[in-house]
Amino acid sequence: MDELLRDFIVETNQHLEEAATQLVLFERDPTDSSLIAKIFRLVHTIKGTCSFLGLNRLQHITHAAETMIGELRNGAPPTESSVTVVLAAIDRIKHIVEEVEQTGVEPEGSDDDMIKELDVQAKSLAAVLAGEAPPAEEAASAEPVASDASAEATENAAAKPAEASAEAPQAEAAPPAEAKAEAPPPATPPAKAPPKGGKPPAKGAGAGAARGSETIRVAVDAIERMMQLVSELVLTRNQLLELTRHRQDDTVKTPLQRLSSLTTDLQDAVMRARMQPVERLYASLPRLIRELATECHKKIDLVTEGADTELDRQLIEILRDPLTHMIRNSADHGLETPAERVAAGKREAGEIRVAASHEAGQITITIADDGRGLDVEKIKAKLIKNGVVAEADLAKMSNDEIFKYIFAPGFSTAQAVTNVSGRGVGMDVVRSNIESIGGSISLKSELGKGTQFSMRIPLTLAIAPALIVEASGQRFALPQHAVVEAVGVGEGSGHSIDKVQNALVLRLREEVVPVIDMCQVLGLDRAASQGNEQLVVIMRVGGESFGVIVDKVADVQEVVVKPLSASLAHLKVFTGHTILGDGSVVLILDPGGLAMSIGIEKNGEKQRDKKDVAAASKTRIVMFRAGEGVVKVLPVSLIARIEMVDSGKIEQADGRLTMIQQDRLMPLVPVGSTMFDPSRSYPVLVVTDGDLTVGLLVDEIVDIIEETLDVQMSNGGYDTIGAAVVRGHAVEFIDVQSYLQSVSGSIKAQSSKMSSRSQVLVVHDDAFARGFLAPVLAAAGYRVASVASSQEALKIVEEGIVVDAVVSSTELLEQGELTAAIRRTQPSREIPVIGVSSEDDLEDEVEVDGLTMRVTAGDRQSLLSGLSAALKAMKRAEKRVAKSNDGVAA
Amino acid sequence: MNASAAAIQQEEDRSISQDISTLTVVANGEIFGLPIQSVQTIFRITSLAPVPMGPPDVAGLVNLRGKIVTAISLRRRLKMDNDVVEKNSLAIGIEHKGEFFCIVVDEVGEVLALDESKRIPIPPHFDPERLRLTNEFYRNGKTLVPVLDVNALVDFAK
Repeated sequence: MDELLRDFIVETNQHLEEAATQLVLFERDPTDSSLIAKIFRLVHTIKGTCSFLGLNRLQHITHAAETMIGELRNGAPPTESSVTVVLAAIDRIKHIVEEVEQTGVEPEGSDDDMIKELDVQAKSLAAVLAGEAPPAEEAASAEPVASDASAEATENAAAKPAEASAEAPQAEAAPPAEAKAEAPPPATPPAKAPPKGGKPPAKGAGAGAARGSETIRVAVDAIERMMQLVSELVLTRNQLLELTRHRQDDTVKTPLQRLSSLTTDLQDAVMRARMQPVERLYASLPRLIRELATECHKKIDLVTEGADTELDRQLIEILRDPLTHMIRNSADHGLETPAERVAAGKREAGEIRVAASHEAGQITITIADDGRGLDVEKIKAKLIKNGVVAEADLAKMSNDEIFKYIFAPGFSTAQAVTNVSGRGVGMDVVRSNIESIGGSISLKSELGKGTQFSMRIPLTLAIAPALIVEASGQRFALPQHAVVEAVGVGEGSGHSIDKVQNALVLRLREEVVPVIDMCQVLGLDRAASQGNEQLVVIMRVGGESFGVIVDKVADVQEVVVKPLSASLAHLKVFTGHTILGDGSVVLILDPGGLAMSIGIEKNGEKQRDKKDVAAASKTRIVMFRAGEGVVKVLPVSLIARIEMVDSGKIEQADGRLTMIQQDRLMPLVPVGSTMFDPSRSYPVLVVTDGDLTVGLLVDEIVDIIEETLDVQMSNGGYDTIGAAVVRGHAVEFIDVQSYLQSVSGSIKAQSSKMSSRSQVLVVHDDAFARGFLAPVLAAAGYRVASVASSQEALKIVEEGIVVDAVVSSTELLEQGELTAAIRRTQPSREIPVIGVSSEDDLEDEVEVDGLTMRVTAGDRQSLLSGLSAALKAMKRAEKRVAKSNDGVAA
Repeated sequence: MNASAAAIQQEEDRSISQDISTLTVVANGEIFGLPIQSVQTIFRITSLAPVPMGPPDVAGLVNLRGKIVTAISLRRRLKMDNDVVEKNSLAIGIEHKGEFFCIVVDEVGEVLALDESKRIPIPPHFDPERLRLTNEFYRNGKTLVPVLDVNALVDFAK
């Protein structure tokens, strides 16, 4: 790509970010005219460069935006819609710039819609301006002339490329000055405009030159390379120090000391060069808050502190998502609606405060809101309901301990899932993101007062302190951020390791910590470790503690983490390697990998990078006992609710068990061979399908867990779909459909109300999803065929089997081929194609062509209602076509 | 300047295609050839960090002037014996796709200029496992020199 173009893109992106922020600030405080002058300048600069580089689309849209902002600058009061339009325009510009960045040319397309909107806004603003201040009429008409003139000036400058670079800054600075000079007084002169038109350009140019000498743009690669070299230098320095430590040779020692301190300074300086102010992270927040406020219908004030706190640029990028997520959470769940706030005696507008500070080699970022705070009781109820913690255990926990569960996967106390948050994925991801960079997250909350999250993050990732431990005569590095403490075990130490059920545990101050032997994990020779004395290093990963037995802790050193070579990258217990001060190479252990080796799963999305996640996606399942045989399971998604039903409420009527539920009789079906004993109460899993509601009577709920459910299809009992392995035990996955049918057989379910049963083709590569979708659809009265791949699906339609609708995983539809091929077979009909995506995918919002609609995997209601609506629409269309054909024939 | 550099590069390519210069190394008494253009340095290992649970052919990690290098025992790689790499072992440093490796050998011999005319077809009864690592054979006087395939040597995917 052209060097000039590259510079333009980098610069424009900065300008855009700045302009968006300023604009939101301006909307809040329209009296601050210096802000709008700044925005105007930024947009104008972009416009000037665009025309210079021949980027026509950008030029036109920035021109329209500039005109509109010009009206604001002239003193027209900003309206919400005008700011929204400008923000949208900025988004469009950003989008085009991104395209240019990737392809080097502007993308095809038209921005007429945007330009029109901007023009409309500009006109209405001008009208307001004219109406408000009659004498300003002249100004309104004078202004476009002025801006045209300045645009021309820029273009003229552009026409002379040789001089352009020298002239550009002047040309940029000129228009505001010109405009200011020409604009008559009633049009609220922008702040601090010097009276003389001649001066500002010179000043602008001067400021530009001054800035030029202070900063230069350096490629990130160059800094990274410097960082690498400095890291090597530090290592070499350490080696030298090690060598001379035991010598009494002052001739070497003095210069070495000097070298040592210089190296430290150099390292510091280079690190500093990589540092960026947290301000960069803050830049996007005003806009985020604005959007959230509109979305949630709340009033939100954003307060940011410590914008100049510096952080490694790599970390800034990593922190962006978690921070956004937490602010979304605060805005959506934390803050109350204005009415609620007033009722609670608070200010109408809620406050979200983001503060960064630097302490003890770490950065602390806090996100605080003054909202309703966390409701301990609600969390408790949720924990009990989900079977995460037993009620008795909860009673023993402090509020802070209970709050910690909001970092557990799949947890959300939100009553309703909103667009913004509440899906229960999030805080666990936030935590694992923070922990992956060696940070930690904690929270404080007070009911009615607000919630505060604190993230503690290391300054940089490149160099990390590590514990050098020894096992079987070999040394390894343990990243210190995961280490809690080291405990001596053995005789006289007061701690001892017990062997319980063939596994090692350490009793440590009332706590029982699982322990692994490093030698065992790494397959080292235990015999090489001498002596009885051992150390257990207690580590903490994702909220779980565990201990690692080592022979001794040799040292604590700052290590430069280097990634493992590809041939060793499959070793999950190591994250990398490093060279120690004495020149020896040691492997760096991965705390997460160690945790996994004893079955402590690292929460979050470690496995995400693997491609076959679809096959291993986790499902929330209920495990229960019913009659004889193994534990049975059902995905939570199939269950409407679980109730404890007193046997007194269960009645035998018409030869079957029923219970009264909201004035209706709900049939109860014992699962498996559950014997009904009138003297006890039973858990009832309520499953619904359309109008049909059936209670499944079981003996006991064992657990509700999140697990990969790999159903191995079986031809076994009529009431099971198959057997699966959950946590090392065989379980039976029961077939809800057969139970529903056993009831609907006599009730004659309303489900077959679709008279001409539509044929639905289910295409899904996940056996579990098929096993779930097919029965759901069948129960709703469709005839269902299910296949595992697009190829099989195509084979079916090519065989001439009429398919009325397709339900498929969004992934298989992504290419659009399947949709097109199926629709091709019946060109006269618009066959509905419904994409089923896992919840995570829906958030990613991959655009898929040709979809009639998309639903999440667990959302049966939307699937069924959407499918039936789409089929009806198709049939109506067919009838219309048939009628019009008749008409033609007649 | 660039053009001339490219020309030199081409020149080199041509000479390689005609003459295959190889460095001979000895493992367990057998002679092998290593293409000379992949050889970066020859050094003696001063210390070695074993990699627990790593591939058995990986002897460990070595610090070569500030670079961490994966040491591969040629004897183990060729399934000759369970070689234990000790200090002072001879190693040949190579770079492959941006990563650094070294091949631990018993002895380093001379540089042989082999050319296409000396190449022989692979005898059918050779061990296919070995052939994955040595895919070319050249006559050199009375002896036969198998040339090691560097790509295969450092590829542990299989």
